[in-house]
Amino acid sequence: MTVVAAFMVPGSPLPYVRRDNPPWGALADAMEKAGKALNTAQPDTLVVYSTQWIAVLDQLWQTRPHLVDVHVDENWHEYGELPFDITIDTELAAAAVSATNAAGIKSKGVDYDKFPVDTGTIVASAFLNPDNKHSLVITSNNVYHDWEMTRTLGRVVAEQAQSLGRKIAVIGVGGLSGSYFRHNIDIGQDRIASDSEDAWNRRVLGLMEQGDVAGLQEQCPAYAAEAKVDMGFKHFAFLMGALGDHFSSATVHGYGPLHGAGGAVVEYHL
Amino acid sequence: MSDGQIIAGYLAPHPPHLVYGENPDQNEARSQGGWEQLRWAYERARRSLEEQKPDVLLVHSPHWITQQGHHFLGVPHLSGKSVDPIFPNLFRYSFELDVDTELAEACCDMAADMGLTTKMMRNPKFRVDYGTITTLHMIRPQWDIPVVGISANNSPYYLTTEEGLEEMDVLGKATRKAIEATGRRAVLLASNTLCHLHFSEEPVPPEDMAQEHPHDYEGYLWDMRIIDLLRQGKTQEVFEVLPQFIDEAFAEVKSGAFTWMFSAMGYPEIPGELHGYGTVIGTGNAVMEWDLIKAGLAQAAEGEPA
Ligand SMILES: [Fe+2]
Repeated sequence: MTVVAAFMVPGSPLPYVRRDNPPWGALADAMEKAGKALNTAQPDTLVVYSTQWIAVLDQLWQTRPHLVDVHVDENWHEYGELPFDITIDTELAAAAVSATNAAGIKSKGVDYDKFPVDTGTIVASAFLNPDNKHSLVITSNNVYHDWEMTRTLGRVVAEQAQSLGRKIAVIGVGGLSGSYFRHNIDIGQDRIASDSEDAWNRRVLGLMEQGDVAGLQEQCPAYAAEAKVDMGFKHFAFLMGALGDHFSSATVHGYGPLHGAGGAVVEYHL
Repeated sequence: MSDGQIIAGYLAPHPPHLVYGENPDQNEARSQGGWEQLRWAYERARRSLEEQKPDVLLVHSPHWITQQGHHFLGVPHLSGKSVDPIFPNLFRYSFELDVDTELAEACCDMAADMGLTTKMMRNPKFRVDYGTITTLHMIRPQWDIPVVGISANNSPYYLTTEEGLEEMDVLGKATRKAIEATGRRAVLLASNTLCHLHFSEEPVPPEDMAQEHPHDYEGYLWDMRIIDLLRQGKTQEVFEVLPQFIDEAFAEVKSGAFTWMFSAMGYPEIPGELHGYGTVIGTGNAVMEWDLIKAGLAQAAEGEPA
């Protein structure tokens, strides 16, 4: 089997930089549980799609062999730095660039010193791959790509992993409901900003737990629109593409607020 | 000490292509030129700025996006290498800048007093966004004037355009009060493109000007209408049609810099000087200047003729 594990995790830096705050600490604990599960599955490579890596022209894939730096989040800079040390599976990344181009999605590798690695990728890598034991393939969220194109990206990268004999863990990095608190709050009292969005999040997470893929496919468009889901929930489209639209059930390791927006750590059972 | 004042405002867009076309030492990527009309427009703007002798340049950039409030660079000296995430092939720029932290703090406090959520950015490892850097390089490549960098709160996208731009209007008024209170002679830089639909593929080489033209005629017509009104000093009329312009031409002024600048200047009904217009990967860019000294709305520096 090529895909040996699959996860959805939030890209917010808050659980990482302020895990001492109980609502966010719970998500940090959940991320660590996911990291343990990932390790048990023994993947060769982590394939990461992050909603926060915004691309506009082409589908971008990180092809620099080693990324090591310190990032400061554009919005949450007061909570400190996000150091990262990431090794790229350049062979699989190059194969993904070629194959997505062949599939009609214009793709390009990026190999530049100081190219900005997004917060979501860094946070996911820090929690799920803390010792830099696994190499990564990292790809972007092209804002002009829809659900189907994003699903295709997931499918194509899994096919390429199979032809290279890689065992991969697929990780969709992104949030759930998108309404958030625009002003300062008592962070210890953080909650999902909208009750109806909270209900939507719980319903969708419930369908995931049941492995109800047909139900999810039916509900996702309305969920994405009505709950203002992060980037149209395309991180889940990527996951579904890589999983061939199939998983048997899921474990929600954590669900909670990120300054009003929704975030969940979900492990999909294959 | 005389009271502080805003002496000029510039519409100063930030396509990294302009830096790439100029080939400054700070940028790694090399070109054979390109986008000369816009680069020469900036050369004219640079000469005006030289005469205005500001103490500080304030820049509002759409590529420092914040969700919780309006943020201000608050570290005295920032440096690093800025790589454009969309055009890394063109823009990999080593920057060093000094921040007027006293004015930044004053802007931050004043905007908070006027009801906005604000925050100082005090992390010395912060990476300054490429919009801020491109605008600053193009207007003042010597980097010898302190700056105040202001984030683009995403309220025009999260709320309605009108609600978001109302916040930018308040931010502008607060900026003006802070400038007056701190005694600075300040120049404002609105780092915005006009019509903003763009091509999805780059020519080879990117500076092949035979491939450069407006993305669509409708966007071009909108830009000419807006520039024409600005050149006539019909500021109020511009702001009346601004939401429609934003919707129909996908204009980057939605992010707020243009409204912030005009609000700070008091929406003067004075003719703007067009230094030049050009497209970059299909988007419309104008370099324009409002000289408040020449308009009699600000005083020249001591010893300088008005
Ligand atoms: Fe821009």
